[in-house]
Amino acid sequence: MKRKMLAALMAAAMTASLTACGGGGSQTSETTAAAGGSETAAAGAETTASQQKTASAPSDGGFELALVTDLGTIDDKSFNQGAWEGLTKYAEENSISYKYYQPQEGTTDSYLETIGLAVEGGAKLVVCPGFLFEEPVYLAQDQYPDVHFILLDGEPHSGDYAEYRTNDNVMPILFKEDEAGFLAGYACVKDGYTKLGFMGGMAVPAVIRFGYGFIEGAEAAAAEMGISGLEVMYTYTGAFAATPEAQSMAASWYQNGTEVVFGCGGAVGNSVMAAAQEKGTKVVGVDVDQSFESETVITSAMKQLSNSVYSGIEDFYNGTFPGGSTSVFTVDNAGVGLPMETSKFNTFTQDDYDAIYKKLVAGEFELVQPSADNIDPTVDLTVSATTINYVE
Amino acid sequence: MSVIYFIFQQTMLFTIPLMIVALGGMFSERSGVVNIALEGIMIMGAFTGILFLNLTGGSMSGQLQLILAVIISMATGAVFSLTHAYAAINMKADQTISGTALNMFAPAFAIFVARVIQGVQQIQFANTFRIESVPVLGKIPLLGPLLFQNTYITTYLGIAILILSAVVLYKTRFGLRLRACGEHPQAADAAGINVYKMQYLGVLISGALGGLGGLVFVVPTSTNFNADVAGYGFLAIAVLIFGQWKPWKILGASLFFGLMKTVAAAYSGIPFLASLGIPSYFYKMVPYIATMIVLMFTSRNSQAPRASGVPYDKGQR
Repeated sequence: MKRKMLAALMAAAMTASLTACGGGGSQTSETTAAAGGSETAAAGAETTASQQKTASAPSDGGFELALVTDLGTIDDKSFNQGAWEGLTKYAEENSISYKYYQPQEGTTDSYLETIGLAVEGGAKLVVCPGFLFEEPVYLAQDQYPDVHFILLDGEPHSGDYAEYRTNDNVMPILFKEDEAGFLAGYACVKDGYTKLGFMGGMAVPAVIRFGYGFIEGAEAAAAEMGISGLEVMYTYTGAFAATPEAQSMAASWYQNGTEVVFGCGGAVGNSVMAAAQEKGTKVVGVDVDQSFESETVITSAMKQLSNSVYSGIEDFYNGTFPGGSTSVFTVDNAGVGLPMETSKFNTFTQDDYDAIYKKLVAGEFELVQPSADNIDPTVDLTVSATTINYVE
Repeated sequence: MSVIYFIFQQTMLFTIPLMIVALGGMFSERSGVVNIALEGIMIMGAFTGILFLNLTGGSMSGQLQLILAVIISMATGAVFSLTHAYAAINMKADQTISGTALNMFAPAFAIFVARVIQGVQQIQFANTFRIESVPVLGKIPLLGPLLFQNTYITTYLGIAILILSAVVLYKTRFGLRLRACGEHPQAADAAGINVYKMQYLGVLISGALGGLGGLVFVVPTSTNFNADVAGYGFLAIAVLIFGQWKPWKILGASLFFGLMKTVAAAYSGIPFLASLGIPSYFYKMVPYIATMIVLMFTSRNSQAPRASGVPYDKGQR
């Protein structure tokens, strides 16, 4: 009997970890609903948020604007939600019908099928948030040449990565996460913190860029202030979940003198906040303004997901859809940044922020990109004022 | 010294929920019903408990609120485990299958209900339950910082449950009967014990403790609940096996697991451990390797309840 039980135990554990991987792999740092994602498929599948029909919409009974969700849900407090907010904002303002669709599972076939469903439902523009959509959009762009697509965090390519091709009806959007991280790191050091931490989720490109930028920002501020001896603890937890492990690690860092930790991986940030509450220390949030989640959040390295989607849709209706080439959202077009209104800095002011922002726009800093197959910042970055403790 | 206090306090965050849930599993298995649904039960308990915290935040003092949440979590766990008990005892279903069903049902249910109630699946809560220092006791040198500072009321509840479990299991008539049902239900039945009732009680207790464990697990480690307890229900089953279905050994096992988990997670912030240069993978592996070794050496005269997992059939001899 015991053997049977153990076998079942292992099977269950494997299922659990598979779900976790599936959820985690789905997206960059944005996936909050790592394990929960797939289970919700049934629950939220056909939820229609709003069905207003209007005069302005040349309505033939369909939903003109559609969003197909990634593995997370529409209320994941980051990726899907950010994109959805941008879409609803435009649609509400201009009285256009809209709807979201949730794929049954995280496979290319399922995504493609759901896109088909959206097109059948009358969609003229489909928003696809997440790099898992790279292949489905690659296929869909030929299949539905009259429909337009906005693809977040990825560029369409064939399944074997042999061909990258973006048709005129597709607008891929990428973000410079490293710039957001840079601003956060810079602001923290400028605000007087010298012992920092970075706790990423899974080591996917977006998370790595956030982390590298964070260190480089701290380094830049140290150089400017003429100080040295910065310390950065750096790790990837390997999942986007709140666990006692993440809480313990953050607590141990705080215990050891770390003053502010950049919680960069969905729910990992919640564990960091829990530790910070215990130790009376600070947290930097990620993706969206997380200051509402905990008192300990001093600022957030934001990606303007909703703005990017909004402007893409706006261009579409103005007849200037920037299809065919990738749009990169950076400091240049206010695509990344810190929410200064809700930030809780002591000495770092709006003026300071504007100044560094301008310098970043002017290209005064060259941010290092992660080299292939490497996630260790001590390999890629050369730092002088900072000691990086990379924790595997 | 403060580092040692810190490690100990962190260890408690892992140990207490693991121990509570493993003790729950012990009651169920000792009565002859395998309860692999602990993970799901934890999720359900945490869900209702946290939902209660969310809805009543600020309306009462923190400790009272937590105690009420504890009661709600335990009740939820018990009720939820009834489905397992019914399937396993009345319907004589395969206990692993019914347990797995509950494990799959729980997160989906938690997400669905959370979204219906409040629109999003994450349930926020404010942690106002941490006790900086217990009055008087916290000032005792050495013991004070170890046991009575930076702690939660649930820690003491966990210790109380442990002592109570040991007493109930070994010193009461109920405990004896429960154990008899897990070893040889036919004999127990012949002696006039209502096996079904005992097994129901065993599963109910495991449900209550599992639900409590879920709440205890989530409160110190996050600021919201996202229908997930990170596999700690399964880990608790490993603790149960490692602890050989005995309360005090379960305490030892969960302390060991907790310490190793803490060291694996926190070594980077603890100077003397960081300087050892042992990778965290090592610490992460140790509890599991130890479990394997214990299983290997004890499998011959394992203390596992003999009738555990076998549906009780009156007609069988």
